[in-house]
Amino acid sequence: MEFFVARSRLTLIFSLFFFLSLCFRSSSSLSSSPTDLKILTAERRIDLASHIIRVVLTLKVQNDGASSASDVLLAFPPAQAKHLALIHAAEVAGKKRKKTLHPLDVKTSNNAEGPNGAKLYSISLRNPLSTGGSVSLEVSYVLTQSLEPFPVEISQSEPQLVLYRDSALILSPYEIKQQTTVIRTPSTKVESFTRVEPSTHLRTELKYGPYEDQPAFSYTPIVVHFENNNPFAVVEELVREIEISHWGNLQVTERYTLVHNGARHKGGFSRVEYQSRPTYSGVASFKNLLVKLPPRVHSVYYRDNIGNISTSHLRTGYSKSELEIEPRYPLLGGWKATFVIGYGLPLEDVLFESADGKRYLNFSFGCPIAETLVNKITNKVVLPEGSKNPSVAVPFSVEQRAETSYSYLDIVGRPVVVLEKENVVPEHNSLFQVYYDFHPMFMLAEPLMLISVFFFLFVAALAYIHMDISIRK
Amino acid sequence: MFYAGDAVPGNGVSPQNDVLKTDKKEDTLKERPSRKNKKKEKETIEKPSVKSKSEKKPLVLPVEASFFALFLTVLLGGFYVVHSVWAAAEAYSAPSIVLTSHSHDGLHVFDDFREAYAWLSHNTEVDDKVASWWDYGYQTTAMANRTVIVDNNTWNNTHIATVGTAMSSPEKAAWEIFNSLDVKYVLVVFGGLVGYPSDDINKFLWMVRIGGGVFPHIKEPDYLRDGQYRIDSQATPTMLNSLMYKLSYFRFVETDGGKGYDRVRRTEIGKKHFKLTHFEEVFTTHHWMVRIYKLKPQKNRIRGKTKKSKSKTSFTTTPRSGTTKKNPWH
Repeated sequence: MEFFVARSRLTLIFSLFFFLSLCFRSSSSLSSSPTDLKILTAERRIDLASHIIRVVLTLKVQNDGASSASDVLLAFPPAQAKHLALIHAAEVAGKKRKKTLHPLDVKTSNNAEGPNGAKLYSISLRNPLSTGGSVSLEVSYVLTQSLEPFPVEISQSEPQLVLYRDSALILSPYEIKQQTTVIRTPSTKVESFTRVEPSTHLRTELKYGPYEDQPAFSYTPIVVHFENNNPFAVVEELVREIEISHWGNLQVTERYTLVHNGARHKGGFSRVEYQSRPTYSGVASFKNLLVKLPPRVHSVYYRDNIGNISTSHLRTGYSKSELEIEPRYPLLGGWKATFVIGYGLPLEDVLFESADGKRYLNFSFGCPIAETLVNKITNKVVLPEGSKNPSVAVPFSVEQRAETSYSYLDIVGRPVVVLEKENVVPEHNSLFQVYYDFHPMFMLAEPLMLISVFFFLFVAALAYIHMDISIRK
Repeated sequence: MFYAGDAVPGNGVSPQNDVLKTDKKEDTLKERPSRKNKKKEKETIEKPSVKSKSEKKPLVLPVEASFFALFLTVLLGGFYVVHSVWAAAEAYSAPSIVLTSHSHDGLHVFDDFREAYAWLSHNTEVDDKVASWWDYGYQTTAMANRTVIVDNNTWNNTHIATVGTAMSSPEKAAWEIFNSLDVKYVLVVFGGLVGYPSDDINKFLWMVRIGGGVFPHIKEPDYLRDGQYRIDSQATPTMLNSLMYKLSYFRFVETDGGKGYDRVRRTEIGKKHFKLTHFEEVFTTHHWMVRIYKLKPQKNRIRGKTKKSKSKTSFTTTPRSGTTKKNPWH
């Protein structure tokens, strides 16, 4: 009898363990099991017009598994993941005209990588997707440094041809029932492209697909060799110093190192050809850059280390100001230029008071030059002396550190908040805030310092005049 | 600032007491007393006597006229300030590295020098040497941050003569000289397109004279026609073959549709279509004022003596006959 009780107890324990393990396995599948979701339709539009590549991926995801899914995974090949500057995802509700986009959080997935080093990103859905349900997602991402100039060196009279490497099939951890990829080139001149049937080329559009029933992580490498003469303007380093002065002015100083990142220039540069035949000579070079500045900007200067550069035009307006600058010489492939742009803004446009009494600076993070990629941006916000507890709110990840800088009439120094980011594209031109505490009493520090100096000087003078140190009376 | 004590006559006090606090007539216009006068005030005792004297002397001018004169004087002073500022801005502020001209649509700026120096500083290697005439030496060192061969110090006449000889020699000889000095870039200033008179062609006579003073194979009469330096069709062959001519006017005819009219010398150039064999144009500024050329590297193979190469980029070793110039570098 006892033997049977012991055996039944043992089986009970074993079945308990078995059940628990089953539970654990199913709970892990509850968070993210790649095999449960299926993508019904996927459409990818790749825009290769400028050197910054923008891709929009529209997915219709259906949950075929047994449990509801709370996030959707995206996969990128390792080369693309390294150059991914920005990724946004949104849930599409409604059709056609009534389409509304609800932004969703995207972050790198905690899971292990996909096969062959593919990087996974996970999109957290608003509501967990029930079994049998489907959701439409729109993912947009920006790739940088992904156009390879080929030939690597060109002369002045040659156009610039670049290579774009990608896959005809969309890399995904899920099975895709139907997918198409459309690539848009800036001009109709496409030298060659890998043919993966069915693929068509019509004027500026290359269409790959539709492909049916592709398994998860399927990848077919393609290369598109086409002409892209749009300016490959890359700012190697941008250091921007934003100085807040509570006397009513915000002074911004930006130091740029600009380089032409396309096919390198070889041979000589003939000015007569460049000036007389602009459509044939130097088509891949650029001369003008457009800098978008805030509306009420004043005291704008544009100079480099040997003096003022006179080739610039400033147009101020109500909603924005535009500064059109030309470097001292046109930039051909591999040529560099450095310059400094500085301007002042009235403080009431940028400094505000938050609900809990803290002051905050509202300023745009990225580079104001249109269509340029910045390899490394450093934003230094110099807060007035006497500011305490600085904190930053930035919509994307940045590296932050603190410094102190000493300027006029400073005793303890001004706290500086340094924000650094790499691989910055124009889409990063969103506003960021720097919060700090500032007691209004500290405003009096500077005037009191000056007043007391002069006061003591005059008192000393008075004392000296009224002193009589002569021996004779 | 003039003191009320001067304008109001009838005030018989001596100048050193013009700050009397007791005299109410002067009170309105005089301000802070100086310390010196304050001390002297302690010794003043003649306060009441001043008032009686002030009534006697009559006014020289009526008050309105004197105020009007004062106003005009102040106006004159103000206009003087305005005029001085204008004269300083217009006449005394020509930096000579940035040239301006007034065109129908405003001010036109010729910033070619800084354009060339900025290009040199960013787009050449740090160790590259630039050869130019000595006038631009300090500017190149400071703004382009590159090593020069001769600069404004002009302490080595033989070195300047070497550069002068190179500029006056034909292309191959000039290449040899510059190569021996490890020069990578040659810079010339050319004002023919815009009419800038202080360019290197106008300074060429000094290059010939200084070079000829040290190297006897450069003879000034070789470059003169009727005692004048010319670059038009009447120029001597030595002049038309010199490096300075070639570097200044390379592809210049293409700018004005085949005429090649030099605005400084006011004539069409002599040799219009030619190619450079030993130099390559790497940069010319916007108004053609500064032209930068690079020395072409030597070919690895030297073609045989019998074959005369048709390609413009190869070097031939011509056999040394008796009439060749003596090259001081061999």
